[in-house]
Order: sequence, then structure tokens, then C-alpha cells
Amino acid sequence: MRMCVRAFALVMLIALPAMLGGQPLRAESTLDKVLKEKKLRVAIDVGNPPFGILDKDGQPDGSDVAVARQMAKDMGVELEFVQVPSTGRIPSLLAGRADVTIASISVTTDRAKAVMYCHPNGALSIVIFGPKSTAIAAPADLVGKRIGITRATLEEATVPKMAPQGSNIVWFDEIGATIQALLSGQVDAVAMTSFAGKTVADGNPDKQIETKLTVTTAFYAPIVRHGDFELREWINTWIFLNTQNGTLAAIYKKYTGIDLPPLPVF
Amino acid sequence: MNYVFQFNVVWDHFPELLAGAWLTIELSATAMALGLCLAVICAYGKSAGPPAIRWLVAGYVELIRNTPFLVQIFIFYFSLPVIGIRLTANTPALVGAYASEIVRAGIDAIPQGQVEAARALGLKRLQIFRFIIIFPALKTVYPALASQFILLMLSSSVVSTISAVELTAITNSLQSTTFRSFEFYFVATGLYLVMSLGFRASLSAIYWAVFERGRTA
Repeated sequence: MRMCVRAFALVMLIALPAMLGGQPLRAESTLDKVLKEKKLRVAIDVGNPPFGILDKDGQPDGSDVAVARQMAKDMGVELEFVQVPSTGRIPSLLAGRADVTIASISVTTDRAKAVMYCHPNGALSIVIFGPKSTAIAAPADLVGKRIGITRATLEEATVPKMAPQGSNIVWFDEIGATIQALLSGQVDAVAMTSFAGKTVADGNPDKQIETKLTVTTAFYAPIVRHGDFELREWINTWIFLNTQNGTLAAIYKKYTGIDLPPLPVF
Repeated sequence: MNYVFQFNVVWDHFPELLAGAWLTIELSATAMALGLCLAVICAYGKSAGPPAIRWLVAGYVELIRNTPFLVQIFIFYFSLPVIGIRLTANTPALVGAYASEIVRAGIDAIPQGQVEAARALGLKRLQIFRFIIIFPALKTVYPALASQFILLMLSSSVVSTISAVELTAITNSLQSTTFRSFEFYFVATGLYLVMSLGFRASLSAIYWAVFERGRTA
């Protein structure tokens, strides 16, 4: 009997403060925090045209940036950009510097081990391109060539797997450095998104840069930390509505110049 | 937030990290040796050469010492190919200038009387430089040189931006494919610390072997 009373007292001691104080019993979610502070922190990569760039005034621009702006506006909160290099897109999220990363992160099972994907909001192709004088018509032609790729990108996950033995892959930390390596002749060809390739080719007509091979085509999606289901569901709801009303398609068309393919959900 | 550390991923890739650390050691040791030679030549040119050489050396030293290392390697790596020079990313050649000012300080510290005494004894110019000037000068500035070399080893991490596959580059690649960035950067930090202490010990050993062994104070 005495044991029973003691156990009851112990339970009350633990439970009472929660009952009286009216504290919520579950921990505050990231979505709660965003809504309470009225601020959404979005990690973006402004070195990746046409998804993230800096405009001529030094302000973030690009399709990812436009998506983030519209998202924060519809959520009714202030938007804070956390600018990261491509290698920082996942670490900055994991370190809690941002609530969500919207930086054309293509969906891979490896990345899903570290973060949670929302529904895709766009699609991209990774291509290998180089000057006309460099002869590459099939993967076997990569042997003996120096191919520049950027760390922490889809090309890093795919190009080393498709390039045959004897091809020389050169890693750079930023897409800007990879592009510079191609233009300066440090590498024979580079792999990046078809859009970035087009930007480089259009900007340097004298180099006669052309697409050689398509490595892969993939969908990309915003990412959140493991466990942030409430935020993920809100973003998925937003993506659903803005797919329906055409906003996502309009943003994609404006920045990439092509029509948004039908977006799958998962 | 709670973060679950998973170091087993790091141990799976430990041989790659060690390979990167080895390249860091190779790059740094080469740069130290080249840098010291260049520093001695520059210091000699600046203290004993004709005015034209003095101006040339002074210009080189000031240019390298007063511009950012990152910008210098971008110029070497991305601009030189335009005029037909394609260096590999592992070319570390810009370091002599930092050490040369330290060596020159050591030379300045040699009393002029000693040089005059050596001249009076009939020593040749190169003999004077070797025995009377550079040897005691290097001994005087050795601690400063040693810490400059440790800094050089640490700043070699910057060359990862131009695709040299040293420790920082390997760490970046591994963390970007495994997403265990905290774990990889912790271990890389530990490796840099071990290398720094190792270089410090080696440099002390070199000091002992060159300047103290078999000599009475």
C-alpha cells in the first residue's frame, strides 16, 4: 500500500507541472519555430545558374530563389537567405543554420540517408560538354581526358561511375571554378547541368562549346532535416497547390527557358 | 537539436584520408625545401646583389607577401594556361617570399664587423656568405622559420580549391558523398594537428642535427 502511494506521488510529481502549466507535451517542431519567429531560413546556392545566381545588383536570383520567395510569402513569414556553396547545401541544414534547403538538390537514395526530401519542384539533366575540338562521342572517348566536376553535386555521384578506367576526373569545390578550369584549358571537358552548360556556351561563343554526352536526368526537391515532418508536409502542400495553379511551371519556364515536365510525387 | 555521431563511416574511408594527409605532407615538405632555397637566394640577392637584382627581389617579395594566397593560386592555375603554361594543381611555388624576409632579418642581424673580419682574413665572397653570414643567420631565425613552415603546411589546404587532392579536398569529397560532415572535419582536424606536431618535432630534430650536434656552445 505504502509502495502504491509513493509511486502515485512520484507520477504526480512528474506529471503535475505539465498539466498545470499547460505546456504542450510534444517538443516544438521546426514549423512551430518558423511560424512563431515569423522567419523562414532557406539555404540557397547562388553559384549555380539558372537555379541560383546573383543579379547585377548582387541580390540572389534564379529559379530556386524565386521558389523560396513565393513560399515564404505564402507562409506569411519573413524570408532569410543562407548562402552556401554546393558542398554546404546539406551540412548547413544539418548544422541548423537553415530550416530548409532549396538548391536544386536532385533526389538520390544516398542523400536521403542524411536528409528528408519534399516533393520534386523541378528537373535537370547532367551533361558533359567541352570545346568543339575535343572529340567525345561516347563514354569510351573519355579515356585520357581531364573531366572537371564539382563536389557535392549530382555529377559527382554519377560521372565517376559512368567514366571508364583511364579517364582523369578532376574535382573542384565550386561550379565557378569548374567553369573557369574549362575556359582556361585546365580540363578538356566538364560535367554539370545542361542549363549551366548553355550559360557557359552562350557566354563564350569564341570557345565553340557544345554538349557531348547526357549523363543522367533527375528531379530535384527541397530538403529538410530528418524528423521535420510538419515542415515537410507544409512544403508538400505548397508544392501541390503551386503545381496546380501553374506558379512552379511559370518560374521554371522563366529561368530555364523550357517547359516544366510533369512532376512526380512520392 | 540532437545529432547522432557516426564515426564508423569515417573509419571506412580512413585510408583515403591518410592518402590525402600524405599528399599534404609531400606538398608541404617540397614547398618548405624549395621555399628555403628561394629564400636564401633572395636574401643573398637583396643584401649583396647589384641594385637591379635588389629591386627585382624586393618587387617579387612585396608582390607575393602583400596579395592573398588564394588569388595567387587562381592566377597560377587559371590564368597561366591562357598563355600556354599548364601547371598541375600540385605545383607549390609561391612560398619563398614569406621565408625570404625572415632569412633577410637574420642576415641583417649579423654584425658588419664579422664580415669585415672575414674579408680581412682573405675569405672569398661566397665563403663569407656561406660560413659567416647564412649559417649563423639561419640559426638565429630558425624558430621564426619553423613556425612559418607550420603555417605553410596549414595553408596548403587552400590548394584543394584548384583540385589538388590533399587532405582538405579528400575530406570535402567524402563529407559531400556521405553527409557526415562533422565527423569528417573532426578527424581531419585531428590529422592536421598530428601533422603539425610531427613537422614541429622534425624541424627541431633538423635544428639539433645541423646547428648543435658536435658543437660546443
